[in-house]
Amino acid sequence: MLTVEQNEELTRVGPGTPMGELLRRYWYPIAFEQDFDTVPTKTVRLLSENWTLYKTPKGGKYGIVAEACPHRSASLTYGVVHEDGIRCGYHGWKWDFEGNCVEQPAEADNQNFRDRVKQKAGKAEVMGGMIWVYVGPDPAPELPRFDVFVMDGVKDCGYATLPCNWLQIMENSVDPHHVEWLHGYYFNFMGETQGFDAPKAFQKKHLKTGFEEMEWGILKRRVLEGGSEENDDWKVGHPLVFPYFMRVGGAGIDQMQIRVPVDDRTTWKLFYSNHAPDAGAWEAQDRPVVYEYFWRDDEGRFITDYIEGQDIMAWVSQGPVTDRTQEHLGRSDAGVAMLRKMFKENMKRVANGEDPLGTIREKHDMIPLPCERDKFGAEREFAEAFITMGSMRYSPQRQQLLDLHADAWARREKAAAGA
Amino acid sequence: MRDDIDGNRSRAGGAAPLGDPSPARIPLSDLPPDPHRLPPPGAWFAGDAERHLLDKPKFCPMCAASIEVHGGISTEYWVSDQRVFMTWCGECGWFGDVVRYDMVTITEEEH
Repeated sequence: MLTVEQNEELTRVGPGTPMGELLRRYWYPIAFEQDFDTVPTKTVRLLSENWTLYKTPKGGKYGIVAEACPHRSASLTYGVVHEDGIRCGYHGWKWDFEGNCVEQPAEADNQNFRDRVKQKAGKAEVMGGMIWVYVGPDPAPELPRFDVFVMDGVKDCGYATLPCNWLQIMENSVDPHHVEWLHGYYFNFMGETQGFDAPKAFQKKHLKTGFEEMEWGILKRRVLEGGSEENDDWKVGHPLVFPYFMRVGGAGIDQMQIRVPVDDRTTWKLFYSNHAPDAGAWEAQDRPVVYEYFWRDDEGRFITDYIEGQDIMAWVSQGPVTDRTQEHLGRSDAGVAMLRKMFKENMKRVANGEDPLGTIREKHDMIPLPCERDKFGAEREFAEAFITMGSMRYSPQRQQLLDLHADAWARREKAAAGA
Repeated sequence: MRDDIDGNRSRAGGAAPLGDPSPARIPLSDLPPDPHRLPPPGAWFAGDAERHLLDKPKFCPMCAASIEVHGGISTEYWVSDQRVFMTWCGECGWFGDVVRYDMVTITEEEH
C-alpha cells in the first residue's frame, strides 16, 4: 500500500519529476529501421515528450530533437532532413544533431539571435534493427548491448501500444506466482471452455521463489512442483533488467520484454525474440521481422487465449495508472516491494548526481544476462507453446520458427541416437 | 493496539476480518500531516490505508534517520495476521522487514 504521493512519484515520467529524471538516464528503443525505408522522419513520444526522429538521406545517421520548433512550435517531423541536421518546414530554421540553431534564413545574418535559442536534442543509435535514443543529460552512457539484441539467430519482434503506465507492467516481472495462476490455471480454464489444450508447463505449482539484487536489476528464481534447486529455474533464473526490461527465454528462444514509458498512461510494449536452437540452421538476418500483436477483440474484450494477451488483461485492467493506495500486498508480492525500493534508491542516486543502476560507460561487445535454458523442465513443449500460444502466434514467420525448432530438435535427437 | 489494528482491518471490506468491530475512524488531526492524503472516508480500503500511515516505520531501525525525509520507502505486505513493512532507508541504505507483532508465535520443528 502506498500513499497517493508515493504512487504519483513512482508513476510520473515527465520532465522534472523524480522518476522522469531517473528514466532519462537510460537508452530506449523507439522505432524500427524499416520505419525509415520510405520516409525520413517519424514523430515518437517518450517520457511524456514528443520528439522528431530522423534519418539523413545519404549517411543514414539518425538524430532526435524535440518535435516542436522553438521558433513558433511547428512540427519538425514535417521538416527537411539534411546530412548535418533538420530544417523546420515552416520558416527554415535549421538544427544540428546537438540541437544548436545553425540557420535562421529570414533573420539578419549579423545577429546573434540563433545563438540564443537551442532545441532539446538527444542521441540515436541502431542496435538489433531498432533505433535507440537517449534524451537525458550529457555525458550519455554507452548503449548497453544486451545479448538478445546482438546474438546470432532469427529475430522476431511483436509490438503494441498499451493504455497503461509502464510500472504496472514492470511489477508483473517480479511476480512469479502469476505464471501459475494466469498462464496456468486461468489458461486451462480458457482451454476447457473454448476447446483447446492449454500448455501444461505453466500450470506447475510454485514451491519457492527468490529475488536477488544484481548488477542489472533483480534476478528472479523459482522452484516448481516436481523440481528442485538444481533446475535452471532456480540455479540460473532470469532477471528483471532495470528499469524497463525483462529477460526471459528457454529452449533455444531468448527474449527481451521491453516496456517503453511513452507517458504516464501509455506504454510501448515489445517482445523481441531471438531464435537460435542448438543444432538449428538459419539464414543471417539484419533486421527482425516486425508485426503488431492484438489484445482486444472486435467487441472490445481482452483477448486472453494466449499468454501475453492474459498479461495485458492483467496490466491494462488495473486502469491507466494503478491506484496503489487500494492494494493489499501479500508475502508473494515481496518482489514488487523490492522493485519499488530499487526505484526509490536510484531516484536518490540521480538526485545526488550519481549514475543509477545499470549505467554502463565502457565500450563493450555484448552484455550476457543470466537466463535459464531448461524452462519449467519442458523444453520442446515450452518452445512450441511460446510460439503458438504467445504473441508470436501473430508473427508472419510463425511457421518458419516452428520448423526451425522442429528441425533442430530432430537433428539433436538423431545426434543423440547416433552417439 | 490489537483491537485497533484488527478493527480497522475488519472494516476494510475486502480484507480478512480478524477481530472486533472497529472503533471510530482516526481523527484526521491524529494522522501524519500532508502529503499523506487518504482515500475518501467510507471507501472499503480506507481503514487499511489509515493504519498503514499510522503504523509504518517512521525512522530507520539502524541509523534512526527519517524514512521519508531521506527518500526511503516502506511497503506493507501481509503474512497471515502479521503486517510486514519492507523498509529501505535512504540515509544509511538499511534494507529489511519491520514486522508488527500482535502475538509472537514459534513453530516447533519436528524432533
